[in-house]
Amino acid sequence: MLKFLRRNFAGYAFLSPWLVGFFLLAIGPILASLYLSFTKYNVVRPPQWIGLEHYFYMFEFDDRFKKALQVTFTFVVISVPLKLIFALGVAMALDKGIRAIGWYRALFYLPSILGGSIAVAILWRQLFNYEGVVNSVLSLIGIQGPYWLADPDYALWTLIVLAVWQFGSPMLIFLAGLRAIPQDLYEAAEIDAAGPVKKFFAITVPLLAPVIFFNLVLQMIEAFKSFSGAFIISGGSGAPLDSLLFFTVYLYNEAFSFLRMGYASALAWVLLLIIALFTIVAFWTSKYWVHYENERG
Amino acid sequence: MNKLNRRHFLGASGSVLALAAMGRPAFAQNTQIRHFWWGNPERDKRTFAVIDIYNEKTPGVTVVGETLGFADYFTKLTTQIAGGNMPDVIQQGYGVLFEYIANGAVVPLDEYIGNSLDISKIDQSAIDAGTVDGKFYALSIGANSHMAMYNTRMFEEAGVVPGETFDPYAYTYDELAEFAATIKDATGVPGTDDNTADYQNFSDFVVQKGAMLYNEDGSYGPTQEIVEEYWSTWEKIRNAGGTPPAQETAGLAGVSELSQMGVVTGNTAMTYLWSNQLVGVQSLMEDKLGVATYPNTPDMVPGSVIQPSQFVCLTRDSSDPEAATAYMSAFVNDLEMTKVLGLERGIPSQSEVRAALQPDLTEVEALSVEYFDKIQGSTAALPPPPPSGSNEVEQTFERLAVAVLLEQRSIPEVASDFLRQANAILRRA
Amino acid sequence: MTDVSASTTAEIAREYRAERARRAKRAAVLKHIFLALTSLIMIYPLIWMLAASLKPDTQIFGDIGLWPGTFEWQNYAQGWNALPVSFTTFFWNSTVVTVLSVVGNVISCSFAAYAFARLEFSGKTIWFALMMMTLMIPYHVVLIPQYILFMNLGWVDTYLPLIVPKFLAGDAFFIFLMIQFFRQLPRELDEAAMIDGCSPFKIYWAIIMPLSLPAMATAAIFSFIWTWEDFLGPLVYLNDQADYTVPLALRSFISSDGVSQYGPMFAMSILSILPILLFFIVFQRLIIRGIAMSGLK
Repeated sequence: MLKFLRRNFAGYAFLSPWLVGFFLLAIGPILASLYLSFTKYNVVRPPQWIGLEHYFYMFEFDDRFKKALQVTFTFVVISVPLKLIFALGVAMALDKGIRAIGWYRALFYLPSILGGSIAVAILWRQLFNYEGVVNSVLSLIGIQGPYWLADPDYALWTLIVLAVWQFGSPMLIFLAGLRAIPQDLYEAAEIDAAGPVKKFFAITVPLLAPVIFFNLVLQMIEAFKSFSGAFIISGGSGAPLDSLLFFTVYLYNEAFSFLRMGYASALAWVLLLIIALFTIVAFWTSKYWVHYENERG
Repeated sequence: MNKLNRRHFLGASGSVLALAAMGRPAFAQNTQIRHFWWGNPERDKRTFAVIDIYNEKTPGVTVVGETLGFADYFTKLTTQIAGGNMPDVIQQGYGVLFEYIANGAVVPLDEYIGNSLDISKIDQSAIDAGTVDGKFYALSIGANSHMAMYNTRMFEEAGVVPGETFDPYAYTYDELAEFAATIKDATGVPGTDDNTADYQNFSDFVVQKGAMLYNEDGSYGPTQEIVEEYWSTWEKIRNAGGTPPAQETAGLAGVSELSQMGVVTGNTAMTYLWSNQLVGVQSLMEDKLGVATYPNTPDMVPGSVIQPSQFVCLTRDSSDPEAATAYMSAFVNDLEMTKVLGLERGIPSQSEVRAALQPDLTEVEALSVEYFDKIQGSTAALPPPPPSGSNEVEQTFERLAVAVLLEQRSIPEVASDFLRQANAILRRA
Repeated sequence: MTDVSASTTAEIAREYRAERARRAKRAAVLKHIFLALTSLIMIYPLIWMLAASLKPDTQIFGDIGLWPGTFEWQNYAQGWNALPVSFTTFFWNSTVVTVLSVVGNVISCSFAAYAFARLEFSGKTIWFALMMMTLMIPYHVVLIPQYILFMNLGWVDTYLPLIVPKFLAGDAFFIFLMIQFFRQLPRELDEAAMIDGCSPFKIYWAIIMPLSLPAMATAAIFSFIWTWEDFLGPLVYLNDQADYTVPLALRSFISSDGVSQYGPMFAMSILSILPILLFFIVFQRLIIRGIAMSGLK
């Protein structure tokens, strides 16, 4: 017993703030939402237990649920890799040898600061208007752009561009990661006449792997839960023709516009399971490509 | 108690907050009434000033104002309902109000009438609008009606003269098609918004066709023919060339931001909204606005109603309904207070208040008063409160109408799909 | 023999360094051009917002051009006092909440991350999985249970719900981020310190934290920005306008049925970005090249 305590004491001591927060503040609401997902709950009246009914309804009858899943998957699969590649590219460009580097970083972070503000919503409408800036640029190279915001085939792309444009936070994390890579490794590689490509794959990628992994998992989770962009640009509705019906936008409407908090909770738990599944897969594959310094040798 | 916690917790900053809190005396023995509204900078200033007047006049009672923008108001209110922590007095809009009444979140006022609450000078129509199943629930604080707003400069440039080319208080969809195209030809700007996805215009059209949006039993009123005819009517106007391209309209479906409306962005010469938005729309434009009703069919059956834009209501969480209703009463009757409020929330439903405000109206306010005078007598009777789920039916209409605009499916197909979904929503609600 | 090879190695290294310097110069010019161009795309919305903040409301939406016809400098003065409570109060409130949150996040999350990354204790995997789960649940469905919880604690209408969770490692994002960086530090560091008789806390404080400065700076930056911009928390928990934070106040400018004040709103939005930029510029300086790792290789 004493041995057990001694072995575990330090770990639990450091974990204690989190444990207190988790049990006092976090787990209660999460379990409550799980409970509510088995009830009919319109917020005004006490919840009524209905078992699995919401889940059955969702998979059998709810076409908008399926549409929301499809939109969200498409968004995740396209936007996350693009955003990460962009973020890593810019982070590497900003890593060294640039004057006024702090200002550049701030500039590249700007779009993320403007985030989900109303200014961005208005601006995005102006940019992607039929006669807007984007189509003017396209027409310079002889392409007649579509009605971006009206055409269900294209509307999602405006949101993907928005997401990629706000690559600031993974960029900053990559930057911190790059700064942790010992420079003498690169120098040694150069003596071996390694080119930039080789250096990238032989040094940068393996040593940055924990950070790449972090950004991948977190950006994926964020993308699945992505809300404000689609919400403000589609006026909260997911229009046109539900092509911007992100999962959380649908969930928000169910919860707060139509006061079906029980159903919204069920939707949330389905999303949670999907995200968890993807995260577990990511963690499992990470064994093969992410190696940590403190586990080596 | 809560406040005390915070002040202690934040220490130094707490004292600054306490400073900011001065002028809001908070003695423990006082009855505290919380009043919550959605607003804007102007409305907030006026309402807080009115609260100060009331607190000055009424020792023992302290009204505390809470305000948010409309976009956030209902999210917060929903959270507060769940927590059993609603403010005593809340602002409500026509429509959502009835869901709150049905669920018991808003309570009847009958027992306070004649005691703490005076409704003797309120218009009967406004009282009726706040009455459900014989019980009176909600005090109207501004009348509202459908209103088309047009850019007078563009109309003038195209030689379209209200009163000559068309009667702004009685014109048909065919006339609209014609003068909208004239404006497009003359100015290059489409003469009218395309209302294919506008549920308010649709609801007018249904009544103009002699039907009701909801039948007495709560089932959905519009028939397949009416829905089809509505969309074909607008298709005709579109084909006549007086509207923006259908795709442009589709891109705006679901967007209700005033700043994105056609008449504001200059993409069209006429936009269809509510009368209480006139002042707000004008404030975003250089050109002067003119007003008109929504278009009608040749039979000229009235389709628009006059209904309250906003109510004040008493919530079930109020700890002192007497004091709360006394405040509500003053909010609509007290001439000193209503003078400060002015027409900011719409045209008051209390006759004396209206008369007292008459001399100091701004130009735009005068225009909306004139509009109300003109439409008196040619509006439809107020239908019974919409059933639960009506909000969702409206969203479904706006969503499916985009398929009509983009010509993805035929009008009859979309119409029957819409009616099927509307009925399913009403059954589920 | 050894001497000769050492001197040739040194020569080769020198040559490579010289060659690298030449290449770096060329690359730097190209990079500057590339960065300048991309930052234009990044900064455009800010320029648009700045222009909008100087226009009268009647010109913001009808007139596409960036250059204001007349400069409405009074948008700033007017916006500052447009609401019944002045922005002095809102900025002060935001500053208090944000600074406390940054401090809370950095301390409590680094505690938890240290436990997960460097200490052994039983049940670690389960706690880690639960921590990740808190990241996956859509915020909107826990909003109401959480509100009820805080109401029962008597914390509604105070800043406690916005600040206390930050001191209890409430945001798993930061924990996971720090874990990834902590795990990259060589294990030998702890082992050596342990042999010297250092306690786990001493190792955390004297070794791990200083070596993780870039990661901490990154966490501080995110923590600052996200707290500064958060509006859902303040929206739900603060009732009194005099307690509002800046983002919440900004949302009071837009009206659905009355006169909005867009110009003043954009003016205040511009001002609300300044503290973020300032914090960013100062703290990104701490994202520096790894201090210890190269020495230990």
